[in-house]
Amino acid sequence: MSSLANLIRNENMKIYRRPRTWAMVGILILALALMSGVMKWDASKKDHTDWKQDLSQQIVSMQSNLDKDPNMGQEQRAWWTEQIKLNQYYLDHDLNPRAMTPWSYVNNSASLIILVTILTVIIAADMIAAEFSWGTIKLLLVGPASRTKVMLAKYIATMMFALLLLLVSFAVAFSLGSVLEGFNGLNLPHLAVGTDGVVHEGSMIVDSLQKYGYSVVSLLMYVTMAFMISAAFRSSSMAIAFSLLFMLVGNTLSGLLSGYQWVKYLLFSNIDLTQYLEGAHPLRPEMTLGFSIGMLAAYYVVFQLVAWLLFTRRDVAA
Amino acid sequence: MIEAVLQLRNVTKTIGKRNIVDNLSFDIPAGEVFGFLGPNGAGKTTTIRMIVGLISMSKGEAIVKGVPVRQNFELAMTHIGAIVENPEMYKFLTGYQNLVHFARRHSGVTKARIDEVVKLLGLQNRIHEKVKRYSLGMRQRLGVAQAILHRPSLLILDEPTNGLDPAGIRELRDYLRKLTREEGLTVVVSSHLLSEMELMCDRVAIIQAGKLVDVRPLQGYKDEQGTKIVVEVGNKSAARELLVAVVGESKVSERGETLEVAADRAAIPELTRMLVGAGLEVYGIHAVQRSLEEQFLEITGGEMVV
Repeated sequence: MSSLANLIRNENMKIYRRPRTWAMVGILILALALMSGVMKWDASKKDHTDWKQDLSQQIVSMQSNLDKDPNMGQEQRAWWTEQIKLNQYYLDHDLNPRAMTPWSYVNNSASLIILVTILTVIIAADMIAAEFSWGTIKLLLVGPASRTKVMLAKYIATMMFALLLLLVSFAVAFSLGSVLEGFNGLNLPHLAVGTDGVVHEGSMIVDSLQKYGYSVVSLLMYVTMAFMISAAFRSSSMAIAFSLLFMLVGNTLSGLLSGYQWVKYLLFSNIDLTQYLEGAHPLRPEMTLGFSIGMLAAYYVVFQLVAWLLFTRRDVAA
Repeated sequence: MIEAVLQLRNVTKTIGKRNIVDNLSFDIPAGEVFGFLGPNGAGKTTTIRMIVGLISMSKGEAIVKGVPVRQNFELAMTHIGAIVENPEMYKFLTGYQNLVHFARRHSGVTKARIDEVVKLLGLQNRIHEKVKRYSLGMRQRLGVAQAILHRPSLLILDEPTNGLDPAGIRELRDYLRKLTREEGLTVVVSSHLLSEMELMCDRVAIIQAGKLVDVRPLQGYKDEQGTKIVVEVGNKSAARELLVAVVGESKVSERGETLEVAADRAAIPELTRMLVGAGLEVYGIHAVQRSLEEQFLEITGGEMVV
């Protein structure tokens, strides 16, 4: 009987022995390099020598904004107040918030996780469908491993690939940042105003990981969706097309439909959890973080169940 | 009684209202090359796919070395090696990597075993080349290599000769013989080509329209079913009575002006003596080897597609 570990090794072999996988990693690295280059170039255009003066000016203008508009909403007022506190803190502790550090690059690389998602969707879409188009599914299933086990191994291997791309993106962004900016800014703290209204120093790496974390939610959902379509309909083009379609138009669509109450039950209305961060507004006022997590979990379970049922039950005919 | 490696019990596949495979039951004893013979669309491939779990059975059970496939799929599969239709392998991997891939699924297939199988099938010269550069014959051999890595008791090959040239078929036949001899394998092959089955198999099950028509031995088992004695006599009905009394009703038949007795060539002197002794006029008596094709056409009612 097959051990799951060996089945995963097999799936990994099939992923990494294909040249296109490495082309994907190459594309990701190229995109990261491009992004870092543009950041560096953009920063070099700006003069930050008198940043202290800039900050002071900002504080003054923000304060006058607050004073001028007494009708300002509660939340907005709180946000302006926080910004002033933060700026004051930067000034008091001689911290330049606009100084580029390796963490700036890592933080920006989080926006490239959409690329990681697209690449992983392509791999996930092929995981099961390609075995059918190659005809190898017959030999794959005629072995001492249940279909459930085969599918699980494939899903885990897909997720391992996503993890690899995330690590590559984090590591490459960090290395490029270090090369371009040196290690000087590494200890710069990440500032945030806590619930107690006081400015706290946090670590930059935690902040970066948090940014990654929010993007990983949509990565997880869309990759699982692609995997489901691949398993259920045995067509990789369909899996890629649908997943990317939802990914690219989903946000716009739920934005357009946000007037309707049922829009909150759509997958893409819940996938962006940053809508619950302070200073942001959820798509619909009645939506909460708990609700979205619940909806995402429900979608995830349905995806897995559909994939499993169709993959394990359907006949493999010629 | 030799132990049956594969037992089929009322195996049935129903699609819609039609039984594609209808109540197949038979045993395949150890050490044989066993053929599934039948016209295209008779249900051979469906049956094989059901045995290996690619298609679900509507009814019935396949039992491999005492292990029911439906209840204990993983254990049953450790006893089976199979190629279903063309041996499709991962083309972007080398032959060796493909074997490693399939070996990993089983516990206890060592590197030495992989090398042994590679040598057994004569693949050692090109095993490290990518499979996309292999000829069909080589892929076929690689497929067989993959199927026997884990020393299964039963090797199932579905239409293994499809697309092979005569040399390839001959080669396949030779190493199947070698495998039954050296590895103690039982082999099940399916084909719609009678001539190939005659070359490869010890016995065949003849299937038509999803039903089992007959299971009969082939080469090396040339029994009375295969031979008949044709008798030309003056008084046919008297001769028939006499023959029925000696060999039994079922073995005597009439064809035109002659009588046919299903019996071995060795029975000819005895029969002649008897007929002459009874005062009948014997014009001729000789043994005929019925060709398998003739038997087959007779059994399937002429629907053979060769």
